[in-house]
Parts: sequence; C-alpha cells; structure tokens
Amino acid sequence: MSEPHARTVSLRDRMLIASVALAAIVVGVFVATILAVSAARTATKQEARSKNLTVQAFRVEKLVLDVENGVRGYAYSQDKRFLKPYYAANKAMDDQLRTFKRLAADQPTQERRATHLDEAIGIYMDTFAYPVTQFSNRYAAELAFATEGRKQAADIHGQFARFIKAENALSDDREHAADSKSRHAMELGVVGLTGSAILILLFAIYLARGIARPVTEAAAGAGQVAAGDLSIRLSQKGPGEVGELTKSFNEMAERLEATRNELEEQNAQLRESERLKSDLVNTVSHELRTPLSGVLGFTKLLLTRDFDPETRRHYLGIVDAQARRLSGLLDDFLDVRRIEEGRFERAKELVDMATLLREEAQLYSQQSPKHELALDIDGAPLGVMGNPDRLRQVIGNLISNAIKYSPAGGVVAVHAAPENGHILVEVRDEGMGIPRSQQGQIFTKFFRGDAAASGITGTGLGLAVSRDIVESHGGRIGFTSAEGEGTTFFVELPGVNGVKDRQGHDDDQS
Amino acid sequence: MRRRSSLSASVNGWPPMERRKTILICDDEPALRELIRASMDEGYDFAEASDGIIAMELARDMQPDLVILDLMLPRLSGLEVLARFNEDARLKDVPVLVITAWNETREDVLAAGADDFVTKPFDPADLRNAVNRLVAA
Repeated sequence: MSEPHARTVSLRDRMLIASVALAAIVVGVFVATILAVSAARTATKQEARSKNLTVQAFRVEKLVLDVENGVRGYAYSQDKRFLKPYYAANKAMDDQLRTFKRLAADQPTQERRATHLDEAIGIYMDTFAYPVTQFSNRYAAELAFATEGRKQAADIHGQFARFIKAENALSDDREHAADSKSRHAMELGVVGLTGSAILILLFAIYLARGIARPVTEAAAGAGQVAAGDLSIRLSQKGPGEVGELTKSFNEMAERLEATRNELEEQNAQLRESERLKSDLVNTVSHELRTPLSGVLGFTKLLLTRDFDPETRRHYLGIVDAQARRLSGLLDDFLDVRRIEEGRFERAKELVDMATLLREEAQLYSQQSPKHELALDIDGAPLGVMGNPDRLRQVIGNLISNAIKYSPAGGVVAVHAAPENGHILVEVRDEGMGIPRSQQGQIFTKFFRGDAAASGITGTGLGLAVSRDIVESHGGRIGFTSAEGEGTTFFVELPGVNGVKDRQGHDDDQS
Repeated sequence: MRRRSSLSASVNGWPPMERRKTILICDDEPALRELIRASMDEGYDFAEASDGIIAMELARDMQPDLVILDLMLPRLSGLEVLARFNEDARLKDVPVLVITAWNETREDVLAAGADDFVTKPFDPADLRNAVNRLVAA
C-alpha cells in the first residue's frame, strides 16, 4: 500500500502507485513460487541422477570383479575358458566407464573420483589383467595376481566404496535439499498468496475509507445544500483530489452561506426601508394635513363670512404661519434629497455659536410656556467655521426636540463651552428619554420611534439632517439618554483658534 | 398650549330653561382649535384640551355635550381617549366627532366608538353641520 507521502501526491498517482506496488508484490510472490518449485524439481532430478550414478558405479565395479574373477581363474587353471568373463568385461568396460564418468560429471569431487577410478581401472587392466592373460607360466601368473593384482583390486574396491558412500551422502543431502526446497516453495506460496489477499483487502479498505467515504459524505453534503442547509461542512480529509473536493465543497458552502446571509440582511434592510417609507407616507400625510387644514379652513371662513378687521387680521396671521410651516416641511424634505444626492452647500464663514445659541433659545422660549430654557454659555465668542443657517437648523432641531419629547414640561438646559480645541454644545431635557431598543436608530431617516403613537409631531428627519450637517462641518453629534429621566444631546464642532483671542479676527487665521 | 380650565366653559348669566351646549375640543395644535371654534355657529361654549390626559380630566369635570377629538394627541392618543370614554358610564353616551389626518378608514374610527368622522383638511361648513347634527340628536 502506498504510504501517504506528501500531500501533493495526487489521487491518481496514489492509485497508480498502489496498483503497481500490489501488482509487483503479486508477481514477486508468483516468481518466487515458480523458482522454488523449479528448484524442487531440479533437486528431485539430481536425486534421480544420483541413484543412476550409484547403480552405474555398481555396474562398473561388477565388471572389474568379472575381470578379476576371469583373470584369477585363468591364472590358477591356465584354462582359457575362464577368460570369458574377462573378455566380456573388457569389451563393455569402456562404454560403461564413459557412462559412469558422464553421470558423475555434475559434481566436481565425484567427477575427480570417477576420473581416478577410470585411471586406476585402466592401469589395472593394462598393467595387471592383460599381462596375466598372456602369461603361460602358472607361477608367474599366480605371483602377479597375488601381489600387484590384489593390491590394485583392493585399491579400486576401496575407491568404489568411498565413491558410493560419498554419492549416498550427496544423495541424502540432495534429498534433504529437495525436501526443504519444496517445503519452502509451499510456504512461500501460502505466505505470498495470503499476503496478497491481505494487501488487496487493505487496498479495498483504503479505497473505501480514503475515497469512497469522503465522496459519499460530499454527496450527502451536496444533497443537504440542495435542500437549503448551507451550514453543512465536511471534515477535511482524504487524499489528493478527494481532499481538494471536500475543501472546495466547504468553500462553496461558506460562500453560499455568506451570500445568503448578505441577501437576507439586504432583504431585512429593504423591509425596514419599506416600513420607514410607509411610516413616512403617514407622517407626511399628518404633517402636511394639519397646517393645510389651518390654511384651507381659515381661508374658507374668510371667504364665506364677514369678520371685523382685527379678527380677520388674526386669522390671516394664522394662515400665514401655517403656510410657512408647510414651506418649512418642504425644506426638510428637500434637505433629505440634498443629503442623499450629496450636495449640501458648505459655505464656510466664521460663526459665533454663543450668539447663535442665545438667539435660538430666545426664539424657542416663546413657543412653550411649559418649558424653562436655561442657557449656560461659558465664555464668548465660541467660534466655528461653517454655514450659519445650517448650524442654526441643528441647534433649533435639538431644542425643539427637547421641548417636544418632554410634553409634561420642565427645564431644557443648553450648555456650551470650548473643550480641547472643540466647541461642545449640550442640550438636556427632563423628558421621556429614548428607550434603549431605539437608541441605535434615532439618526435613521424617517425613524420616529414611539413618537407617532404618542402624538408627537415630526417627520423623523431632523436628527438625520442634523447629523449630516454636523459631520459635513467635521464634527460629531451624539446623546445619552435614560428612559423616563431625559435625554442629553451633544454636538462637537472644531473650534477656530483665536476666536477667544480678540486679535484673532485681525490676523485672519483661517 | 396653555391649559384651559373648565372655568372658561362655565355657564353664566343665561336662563336655566335654555342651557347653552358645551363642546370639548381636543387638539394639540392651537391654530386648529381656533379654526374649530371659529367654524361653529353662535351659541356654543367651548373647552379646549391640548393632550389626551387633559381631555379626560376636562370631560369628567364638565360632562360636555359633544367632544371633537383629534386622534393624534400627545401623552394619551385619541383612540385611547375613545376607549376610556366607552369604559366610563358617565361619558359613554357623550357623542364624539373624530378629526384625523391619518389614513384610518371610517369603519375603524366608528368601530372604536366615534359617532362621526372628519378628515383633515376639512371644510368648516362640513364640520359645523356634523356638530349641529350630533348635538341635536
């Protein structure tokens, strides 16, 4: 089985390596088995040959004995009939010796012994047997036989005995070797086949676990994604392309989920914006209809009835005020358009916030007898660079909110002071406060919280417009509020150096 | 938004036989309260409330003959005022004419307990006719 080397080895390569390794092992086992079997066969053949050689050795020795007997018989009797076995043996000897030597040739020691035997037999035949057959003197023959002949024959027999003994020992060895070789072949075959079977099994398990399972999981995951569950993630394992597959799958699911969440968020925003728009329709409806009622109603009265001049003037005054209010509302809506289109005029001139605050406080203190406007301005002038009409709009909005959202009356405190190079303005009321749940939204256009239900008029634009104005002046606006205790809004605008210093103007510092 | 006490609505110096009718005007907009007053025929007395709480107090104190009620009131909404009227045995039968700038349907407003209904902006003559009709009934 291929080892999981590096992560970069591709799945195809792994499969290839595993298959090749498996094939090599199976072929190896097969070759080893064949070699073992053929070795066993060779050993068996050698054993058979060894037996033949032994038989041949006996055959040759028998010939030598025939020669010996024939020669002896002749020597003692001088009767030529006794030489018959000698002649027969002498005639067959060369062939039989050749066969003997050929059979012994596969083993060097035995070959050497066979050669020695051949030589010894040759010498025996030439120097003893043949001369004896030529002797006609019985004594001489007997003497030769008794001395040289006996000695040589004994030597030859001794050599044969050693040869056969050695051959028997060899044969035993070979039999052993053949036995153990065939046993080895058997063992190798069993081990090899079992091993191959186990390897194939392991490979199958590897395929199932390493590839089939992740692929099955990926298929199941894809099913779940198709069913809409985008939170599904696969465990990132598996070799090569399978790992890539699970990784890509997870990335896909992640991206899908992110996209879906984004869409849902956009949807929620759209719904919220839709809701705000529908609120706006109601708000506009109310905010426009109330002053319109005044304008149309009094106009109709003035047209249909006669009033004394003072009453008429008074009614016309109301018509004028309500018409101005309508006009102001239109301005608010146009401001929103301007903000949305990003074209807020940002005329920069030196504005003294102290003077501006005093004028606004004066204006609003006349509007609500229930409220007391407390002005606390630290030092003067408090100079900022900006558009005085817009800054006035912001301050007016904050004071009018403070009054509107404290319907039971109370103190509206306006505080202004320089702080760390900025001008800080605070407007504090003792009104209803802003519920925690709505605090994040109050700068949203058209957001009015519970104001509509509480009967508090407004468009939900004031704070949105104010924030844009303040931010376009490089400042910031914020608030702290506790429900039921009141709200403090603050505006922080970059101060102008030298405003406090009366020379500042002359030096033209901006 | 000065709170008008029931004193301004008190009856004085007229023969007991022909008691003048009293109308309670509830609207947070002074200009509209004045328009409503100016739209009426001679012969009514008026009380004015600028929010729902004052409206309830005045109604209980003076038992008006008619209430003209803007639905959009601070502190206590017009619908809430209507609901409290319905729960109060002494105020239950007081006719209520609702003025609204919202988009409530006639059915909604009548179901809430109002007797009639005028939408802003309204014609003073229509308001006058509606008031006369309810007071006479």
